[in-house]
Amino acid sequence: MPTAKELESILKPTWCPGCGNFGMFRALKEAIEELAIPAEELAMVWGIGCHGNGADFYNVQGFHGLHGRALPVATGIALTRPDLKVIVEMGDGDGYGIGGNHFIHSVRRNIDMTAIYHNNQIYGLTTGQASPTSDQFMRTPSTPGGVVEEPVNPVGVAVAQGATFVARAFAGDIPHLKEIYKRAILHEGFSVVDVYQPCVTWNKMNTFSWFRDRVYKIEELPDYDPTDRTKAFDLSMSTFHELTCAPDECKIPIGVFFEEPDSFTYQDGLPQLDRPMYKHAEKPRDISATLELYGA
Amino acid sequence: MPDSPTELRVRIGGEAGFGIKAAGQMLARSFVDAGLETFDLTEYPSLIRGGHNNYLLRVSTEPVYSHVEPVDALICLNRETLDLHHHELVDGGAVIFDPEDFGAADVPARLRAVPVPLTEIARGAGGKIMRNTVALGALLGIVGFPLSYLGDSLHKQFAKKAPEIAEGNVTAAQAGCDAAMAACPDFIVQLAPIKGAPRRILVDGNEALGMGALAAGIGFYAAYPMTPASSILHFMAAHEREYGVVVKHTEDEIAAMNMVVGAAFGGTRAMTASAGGGFALMVEAFGMAGASESAVVVCVLTRPGPATGLATWTEQSDLRYVIHAAQGEFPRVVLAPGDREDAFDLTWRAFNLADQLQTPVVILGDSYLSDNRQSTPAYDLSEVTIDRGKLVTEGEVPAEALGTDGRYLRYKVTEDGVSVRALPGVKGANQLGNSYEHDEYGFGSEGEPAETRIAQNEKRMRKMELAEKLVPPPAYFGAPPESAEIGLLFFGTTKGPVREAARMLEREGVKAALMQVVTVFPFPAEEVAAFLGSVPKTLIVEGNFTGQLEGLVRQECLLAVEHSLHRYDGRPFTPEEIVRKVKEVL
Repeated sequence: MPTAKELESILKPTWCPGCGNFGMFRALKEAIEELAIPAEELAMVWGIGCHGNGADFYNVQGFHGLHGRALPVATGIALTRPDLKVIVEMGDGDGYGIGGNHFIHSVRRNIDMTAIYHNNQIYGLTTGQASPTSDQFMRTPSTPGGVVEEPVNPVGVAVAQGATFVARAFAGDIPHLKEIYKRAILHEGFSVVDVYQPCVTWNKMNTFSWFRDRVYKIEELPDYDPTDRTKAFDLSMSTFHELTCAPDECKIPIGVFFEEPDSFTYQDGLPQLDRPMYKHAEKPRDISATLELYGA
Repeated sequence: MPDSPTELRVRIGGEAGFGIKAAGQMLARSFVDAGLETFDLTEYPSLIRGGHNNYLLRVSTEPVYSHVEPVDALICLNRETLDLHHHELVDGGAVIFDPEDFGAADVPARLRAVPVPLTEIARGAGGKIMRNTVALGALLGIVGFPLSYLGDSLHKQFAKKAPEIAEGNVTAAQAGCDAAMAACPDFIVQLAPIKGAPRRILVDGNEALGMGALAAGIGFYAAYPMTPASSILHFMAAHEREYGVVVKHTEDEIAAMNMVVGAAFGGTRAMTASAGGGFALMVEAFGMAGASESAVVVCVLTRPGPATGLATWTEQSDLRYVIHAAQGEFPRVVLAPGDREDAFDLTWRAFNLADQLQTPVVILGDSYLSDNRQSTPAYDLSEVTIDRGKLVTEGEVPAEALGTDGRYLRYKVTEDGVSVRALPGVKGANQLGNSYEHDEYGFGSEGEPAETRIAQNEKRMRKMELAEKLVPPPAYFGAPPESAEIGLLFFGTTKGPVREAARMLEREGVKAALMQVVTVFPFPAEEVAAFLGSVPKTLIVEGNFTGQLEGLVRQECLLAVEHSLHRYDGRPFTPEEIVRKVKEVL
């Protein structure tokens, strides 16, 4: 079972100094170590973006797919390899923009895997354009007059679409993030973890200090019940949508919004998924019973 | 010259939603059960209900390769069928109709009017819905064929649901048979069962593709519905629990192709299928399969394009598209089955090729393959083999696949371009499958140096040399080239009409040599050049406007083909039009 150190590849991360991805990298390595997941039982998938450069920095069984398409690749693995625990890493443009369709459908399928979104509210790798989670009116090279549309509310969408585990975290609070990762990975079903991960190079608005002034932990809320879907949705709507709001005007909840412990997973609906599916190709399959139906 | 076999060509026409295809297929089933050979052609508009549907069935005492133009009997379930199709009938051909729809006086004098009170008989037997069965009984009556085979089919069909419905249908068929025999006791075609004939299966192309995939040990099938590929999804889903296949109807074709790549990463034999439009959405991930060296099988079933095109009709216009699809260059194989034997055979072989080459393999078909059923010798399952190439599924990563520092090199540069593929789960198999250019381990950021790019690019492209040794060779039919007056070159489902045309020509004393390009990529340039050089005249037959196969011949063989025949109206070639073209050329 790999230690956090052993989960690092021979390559050193090349993210910008101070990038929120470093905190996410450390928290996930530590979570995997603490959960004692054997190297042979872990598979990770990445989309394309700054987060995806992380594919080179983990020493795991991994696949670095296309922009926006990490979830279906991970689905192909999860639905054929019941012996593997699948963790997917995506960005906000990657996972909520170009890959938004897969987000909605993966949520409603409740496939047992973990989806982590590196949400920096900007396109980093392509140099600073607005992303689906950029705040309204934010000025960027692709929106010089300010973003016109409302940002995506990933937590709200996931909760509304029937997700069985939805959390938000902040890359500036690594111990808290690590605990959320552990709960998400242990959750049987599709777990969504949206992580605010400030981009120190392109997003001059939503910075570490901006978040520190605003985040609070859901578990500190009195009487919050994370199994109440309606309350979770209401809480998701309390997320800031104002670019210039003062810290006391817009508080950002982080923690587990919703959790349904004993849900029916997609894998539960597949009795034929009783072994790694490659085992069906060890010898030619006898389909004579089917041939008989056609007249043989 | 061989004698002409006994043949019956029957067309059933009516409004969409009348169950014409189902009735026609039951008729085909009855003839095949009786030892005869059949080929059917379903023509239908892209509508759920309404519009004109028709089903053409050719029955013969000899193997049949395609549909033909003339019709001996026309079953009219409405007036429109008579108006649209009476001209196809041979002199003395029968028009079976309901006097409630039109009168005998409406039937041209050169034809035989066979009035059968379809609706009245059906109502008496249990309901108007049995009109089709009455008409089938009528047809069997005029050709003197025993009703028992149809009765067996009906009993089989309704055995689970409602045996009493089967009885009602048998009564309806018998009454139709009696009425038709009284109206037409001396019809020009008479058919009898063939005792002791070899068993045939009756399958359409999609069922053949599905069976080929099942036999090959497929474990994952993902697709989004699109005509004409949808019935593969139905077929696979119907068998998923019986055989242990995970079948996923995805949110779109993008997801389907990406899921298949994910399944292949886990070592599972995986396939997707669509028409050209759905494949357009798959193309980026298709390229990723090439870059990440993923063993996947993709069926592209052409319908006339561009865009939504003609949803329910056929064409051969995606040849260049699948050969070139996706940005950049990577190895691929494209196989083009010509009939339902090829479809089964090439599909299981496609899985072996994908594993041996660790690259995507395309099966290029079309609606003419997918939609239509042909009596086919039962597949010999003992011929199916599984070769997974350099796959390691358990234990440890073999030493030959390790780098000097002991790390597993998923993309190790090798002589044949194929690297050891140790699956996740194998001890020491940490790896990075990558859509980025990468180094031998799989690191994207290490793929940027020019020498790494060259090494990986050349490694992948070397697999084309291996592919040339592994892929199925061209197939030859008809007269030997040395004695032929003309050579016909084609790919895909044009095989059927061309073989049928050659048989017609042979009966007239004209010898034609035929070459089917089975593997269209890598293109068998040497064989094609040799064939074209061995016949006095050459004709290429392909179902597209621009001459895509002809272009490949020019490009790969530096040769011109003298004559060409194209069709792009959505309909398949008929053998007769090929015969006419050959005679014109000679």
